[in-house]
Amino acid sequence: MELGFIIGSIFVMLGLGAIFGAGLAVASAKLKVDRDPRIDELMDLLPGVNCGACGLSGCEAMAKALLAGNAEPSECALIPPDVAERVAEVAGTDVGQRQKRVAVVLCRAKDVGRRHDYSGLSDCSAAALLQGGPTDCVYACIGLGTCADVCPFEAITMGEDELPRVDPEKCVACGKCVQVCPRNIISLLSVEKYVHVLCSSHDKGGQVRKLCEAGCIACKLCEKACEFDAIKVEDCIAKIDYEKCTLCGKCVEACPRGIIRDIRIDQHWPKATDEVTAAEVKSGE
Amino acid sequence: MNISGYAAIIFGSIFVNNFLLARFLGLCPFIGVSKRTDEAVGMGMAVTFVMTLASAVTWLLYNYLLLPGAETGHNIMSFIMGNEVNLVPILKNVSYILVIAALVQLVEITMRKISPALYRALGIYLPLITTNCAVMGVALLNTTDAPRRFSFVEATLQGFAAGIGFMMAMLLMSAIRERLALADVPRSMKGVPVAFICTALIALSFLGFAGILGAG
Amino acid sequence: MVRSGRRKKGVRLREELTKGIFKQNPVISLTPLGLCPTLAVTTSLKNGIAMGLAATAVLVSSNFIISSFKRFIPREVRIPCYIVVIATFVTIVELVMKAMLPPALNQQLGIFVPLIVVNCIILGRAEAFASKNTVGASLLDGIGMGAGFTLALAVISSIRELLGSGAIWGYPISLSYLPAAVMVMAPGAFLVLGLLLGAYNLVMGARQAGGKAPEQICLCCAPRRSEAEER
Repeated sequence: MELGFIIGSIFVMLGLGAIFGAGLAVASAKLKVDRDPRIDELMDLLPGVNCGACGLSGCEAMAKALLAGNAEPSECALIPPDVAERVAEVAGTDVGQRQKRVAVVLCRAKDVGRRHDYSGLSDCSAAALLQGGPTDCVYACIGLGTCADVCPFEAITMGEDELPRVDPEKCVACGKCVQVCPRNIISLLSVEKYVHVLCSSHDKGGQVRKLCEAGCIACKLCEKACEFDAIKVEDCIAKIDYEKCTLCGKCVEACPRGIIRDIRIDQHWPKATDEVTAAEVKSGE
Repeated sequence: MNISGYAAIIFGSIFVNNFLLARFLGLCPFIGVSKRTDEAVGMGMAVTFVMTLASAVTWLLYNYLLLPGAETGHNIMSFIMGNEVNLVPILKNVSYILVIAALVQLVEITMRKISPALYRALGIYLPLITTNCAVMGVALLNTTDAPRRFSFVEATLQGFAAGIGFMMAMLLMSAIRERLALADVPRSMKGVPVAFICTALIALSFLGFAGILGAG
Repeated sequence: MVRSGRRKKGVRLREELTKGIFKQNPVISLTPLGLCPTLAVTTSLKNGIAMGLAATAVLVSSNFIISSFKRFIPREVRIPCYIVVIATFVTIVELVMKAMLPPALNQQLGIFVPLIVVNCIILGRAEAFASKNTVGASLLDGIGMGAGFTLALAVISSIRELLGSGAIWGYPISLSYLPAAVMVMAPGAFLVLGLLLGAYNLVMGARQAGGKAPEQICLCCAPRRSEAEER
């Protein structure tokens, strides 16, 4: 009996070990994922925080895109120039021009009416759950500052007007505020194109007139004013095609409600340019 | 075995004897992973998958290798060690955990090839399933500590249902904890302690299921 | 102050032994480990202490073996190796308990003795400590952590037994009220543990000036992280 125990145990364990060992070896060989060794090298150079500022879903995705030629090292907001050069070397691409992006809140919610007095959790997502939110316009900024709370770089602060203010120097366009905004009115846009339509309402013009002073009524005056075909009114709201926009500012002048603005002035960006165009003057009102 | 027997197993493992809330199995990842709903669902699905597979393989192991040939009549190794040798108390721990570890590794390899997105989503939680008390627990409850001898289908079904119950409890907990994160909790109770208090209340409500399936 | 080398070593060794009891108590500290047996078997003080001692025995033995063989275990397969070593010792402890302890106790502990194999504490200490330190230190660490675990189980089980069955170690104590059966069931377990963790946080928070709410981090990283903080 005792010998049986010992023999049985040895054989069972040996057998199991052999079967599983062989099975796993076969599986890992047959189901092998061919991995470019440069991916690991790149991932060592990249910051590895998976912030998403490059617009890709993490550092591994960025490494793969670099190797495929779909991305440039400068798109990573967090690596210094010398690391970017090293990355370019390994990936065999050019360093590229960094296209810095910042979060822009596309709403000015000036005196937008409140449907009800909300007193609950001081969180925009929570407020938005209750009967569609406290603001009359369902596309408006609620103003409780969840975007400011969630920003890991403290780039968003709430102004006195209960609208978020984004610091372009701290913002790395990680996208956390975009994810958390229940109204989906925050977008990550290039720093170099600073003229934006600061409204997200798809309501018809007549309705918008009643709801908010700073709402787009789709009057198409901006579309008519633009010489470069860069702004169009679609779905009751004006949209800028940033590829065509030359920042001439004609739409800013044309907009009767002052909704299209230069956000460098609107958001009080630290280094204002010395040139003062008619657009900037109007935005500053 | 008829449908009502299977239904009793399913209902029993999900509600009456919920693996997490009534049997206390799987608590370690429960507290660590259930802070967000998407993590909880991912972990729950992975655990359910592993539990089902583990139940099946350990049942085969138990019935064909560990139980003495005299009892079952079909022990593969009986020609080497004889018909009377009962390897269960000696080898159950080591062999079961070996099976589970190998299965988790296999799942990891397969998932990496077949669905890299899911693999990335689960991340570190996948290897952690090896040390999940619920997986080892269900393997034991199906075989050595079962009230009666289960058939292959019953054992696998219980494994699957146990996983579903586990996932359900994690989902409930994560939804509550997401809201709890915004509430004003006293500083010393913030995080894990208040989560346990909530679990106590959920467990209390689940006690209401006791007795639905009759005695036992 | 200049300390002689030997005296410093003595202080360090004592610290290895005692850190597991309060400062780094595996169950009640920042991130609780080994929760499954903690809640399941603490229905009476006898069960709690039996489980605690069993886990301590496994922890000390596995720490000893793993620490002795740490140079021979390849890094890639270290976790399965540790698990098999732990499983072997659990089997030994289980068979000893089945032979020497009364059957009622064994039945109440049920599947949680075999489940010591997947107890996060044992694997965690093996990974975080025994694989990196000397045999002596690992032994002390095992004893200390095991003692802390047993202490935590003892506290929880005495509370639950007192309030739930009106007894301690099986000896009934006359209470002026009917014992609440819910305390020996699932909800009572979670409640007691939650309140105990809160009390621990309160005490630890009071000790550190300006302590903020402890952050919950990945369980298997917890021992490693606190090790790094120690240095």
